[in-house]
Amino acid sequence: MKRYIARRLLQIIPVIIGVSIIVFVLLRLTGDPVILMLPEDATPQEIESLTTALGLDKPLHVQYWVFFKNALKGDFGRSFRFKAPALQIVLERMPHTLQLAGAAMLVALVIAIPLGIISAVKQNSAIDLTASTVSVLGRAMPNFWLGLMLIIVFAVVLRWLPVSGKGTLSHLILPAATLGTGMAATITRLIRSSMLEVIRQDFITTARSKGLSESVVIYKHALRNALIPVVTIVGIQTATLMGGAVVTEQVFAWGGIGQLAVLALNMRDMALVQAIVMVMALIIIFANLFVDIVYCIIDPRISFE
Amino acid sequence: MKSRNLALLLVLVMVLGAATVGCGQGAEQGATDDGITEIVIAQGIDVRSWDIHDHNNTATEALHVNVFDYLVWRNQDLEIQPALATSWEQVDETTWRFELREGVKWHDGEPFTAEDVKWTLERIANPETGAELREHGQYKQIQEVRIVDDHTVEIITFAPEPVLLNRLCRLGSSMLPKHYLEEVGWEGFEAHPIGTGPFKFVEWIKDDRVVLEAYDDYWRGRPEIDRLVFRAIPEDATRVAELLTGGVDIAVNVPPQEWPNVESNSDTVLKRANSQRVMLLVDRLNPEYKTSDPNVRAAIDYAIDKQALVDTIMGGAGTPTRTRVTPGNFGANPDLYNTYLYDPDKAVELLAASGYGPDNPCQITMHSPAGRYPMDKEVAQAIAAMLESVGFDVNLQIVEFGQLSNIRNAQEHQELYLIGFANSLWDAHLALNSLRQAIDGEKQHHYFINEEFEQLTAEAAVEMDRERRAEMYHRAQEIIADNHGPHIYLYQLKNSYGINKQVNFEPRADEMLWMWPVTVNEGS
Repeated sequence: MKRYIARRLLQIIPVIIGVSIIVFVLLRLTGDPVILMLPEDATPQEIESLTTALGLDKPLHVQYWVFFKNALKGDFGRSFRFKAPALQIVLERMPHTLQLAGAAMLVALVIAIPLGIISAVKQNSAIDLTASTVSVLGRAMPNFWLGLMLIIVFAVVLRWLPVSGKGTLSHLILPAATLGTGMAATITRLIRSSMLEVIRQDFITTARSKGLSESVVIYKHALRNALIPVVTIVGIQTATLMGGAVVTEQVFAWGGIGQLAVLALNMRDMALVQAIVMVMALIIIFANLFVDIVYCIIDPRISFE
Repeated sequence: MKSRNLALLLVLVMVLGAATVGCGQGAEQGATDDGITEIVIAQGIDVRSWDIHDHNNTATEALHVNVFDYLVWRNQDLEIQPALATSWEQVDETTWRFELREGVKWHDGEPFTAEDVKWTLERIANPETGAELREHGQYKQIQEVRIVDDHTVEIITFAPEPVLLNRLCRLGSSMLPKHYLEEVGWEGFEAHPIGTGPFKFVEWIKDDRVVLEAYDDYWRGRPEIDRLVFRAIPEDATRVAELLTGGVDIAVNVPPQEWPNVESNSDTVLKRANSQRVMLLVDRLNPEYKTSDPNVRAAIDYAIDKQALVDTIMGGAGTPTRTRVTPGNFGANPDLYNTYLYDPDKAVELLAASGYGPDNPCQITMHSPAGRYPMDKEVAQAIAAMLESVGFDVNLQIVEFGQLSNIRNAQEHQELYLIGFANSLWDAHLALNSLRQAIDGEKQHHYFINEEFEQLTAEAAVEMDRERRAEMYHRAQEIIADNHGPHIYLYQLKNSYGINKQVNFEPRADEMLWMWPVTVNEGS
């Protein structure tokens, strides 16, 4: 196992370098941050002098090399807008996004697991069809719209929950529900198919023939095996969560790296966008690695080779 | 078996752990029950920085004015009044003497003196310390600040500076504490800024809120509000929802689609104020563009019904104008404000005079940003339609603002583009200076060559007699308006504020959220 982990960790390096190059080039091809920093009627001379002062007039590969050297030392550059180290700004806000993502995943699992089980056990029943329809709706609803609808219903009309911001548990509910719903839909379908597959297997027939009650068969034997693929899903969905967080954080003024990303992109704050993308990439990579390891532990049929 | 359960448990713990990270952090909302008056204001963005010389952002300044003071300050009617300076006089062409207010203390109790004025202004004016700071261009006219005594300074400029007073009450001119900055540096200042203003810094939760509390020893008198919270809520609908539920007391920049919600809510009211921003079309005068033809430019101006744009698309939140120097700005030409040209028949005639007609439409390209200014792309589409109805064939390109900025900077824009310009100097100088042929010796790219305009703007830049200067600027604005280029002005924007009825806040035309005079009704 140690060799496996070491190999996976080494694989991260080319991936991160690749991500950094793509982000670097794309950013510089799409916009000039200097013009966005100065007022609209700034003169070309003012623009030029600030460009030179910030080192943005050098050729692309020279700029990348400077960035790369510094990144190895942990210096991702300074944010134009905040005038502070980019990495520091991202790390300050990361806990908020992790909190939101974790809560959203929890919401998703809490909805999806029971719903998935019932759909499988009572396959093709009314419950199953309803669950399927709700799943499709959940996938189809855009985060943005769902968030605003939840605000209108639960905050403005019913006044049960606060509109936006963070701080207490009640602030977390609506954003987590918004971000988690789409995922709940996907996970429900996956649990359903996984359960159906497991139920058909011989060992379930054996369990039943041993005289075990149906609930023991389902919850003790079938579910535990059906949940194994769910572990992988948690890893894969991390990427979706990070992306969805951008919109959700914007709607709820959540103040995590999603909201920061929107801001940084609009301002073409190069260092900040780069730092955000790199950190997100690392989170996704590590989440997947963690999940792969766990998966191997819990399914003895899979080895590390 | 056991390890499998353990592993599943591990995953669950990871998810739960992530979910509870940061729980318990963050400020509570609304501490008004214990007799403290707290006002919460929601803007679209967070404060950028506490370095007053390097943010160049109106929303940040709107917050800063509660923490920092200026030498001179505009009242609600935008007239310049004494503030940290009690009186001033011009000693000679390049020297102004200011008497400073006595008994003013910084939030840490230290006295405000002439040393602070010298330190603050020289930091931004001196190229050695200020060249990389965003506001340098607006203060480099200052050569030196001479200390006469603890409460008297002389500001010496390189050349006669008729707009010095304007510079001293705008973004970038508030007074900074020399002793404190020398002690804690900018890092310390960004973590805990101090000023002489009516509110003291309490905390800043990034991308969430800034909390301020009343300063008991404020020289104007303690403000009535005890606690001031500025929240950053980027999404318009969310910001308004907070206002409607009482989560915030003032919401800035309420878009037209939310006006009915604010007006119909029994607790809130919608108030409007003129802004300093004027929407305009930049038309290119370079020979290779159709707009180099004066008939074409005039036709464009006559084809657009500016009042209709204001009434239908902007919901009335605007005022048509033929100048960028609007009332309140020094040198404003009243004949060119709240008026507009609209005569589509004349537009057709003008195009015909240049050989354009139904068989030969005048093909032009127009760029517009999307989402940068209120209803910008909708206005652009309406303008394109109006132009087409008189015989233009418009290739409308709607782009993201960053893209438009690139296009402009690379000089790749075409006949027209839509944009909005503000004026942080409140003086015609800022509005018209960029239309001169050369600035600081550097040639500009706009191809606007008018001897009279050149002469007027050059003289007005150093003319200290206010009346003569205003006259020169009036005439300069006429020239631009009659030339229909390099700018065709459309309308001045009005800002809409959603305000809780219990809060007595009147919005200002300079968009500053000046909360010292604000009172709250009893029992709210």
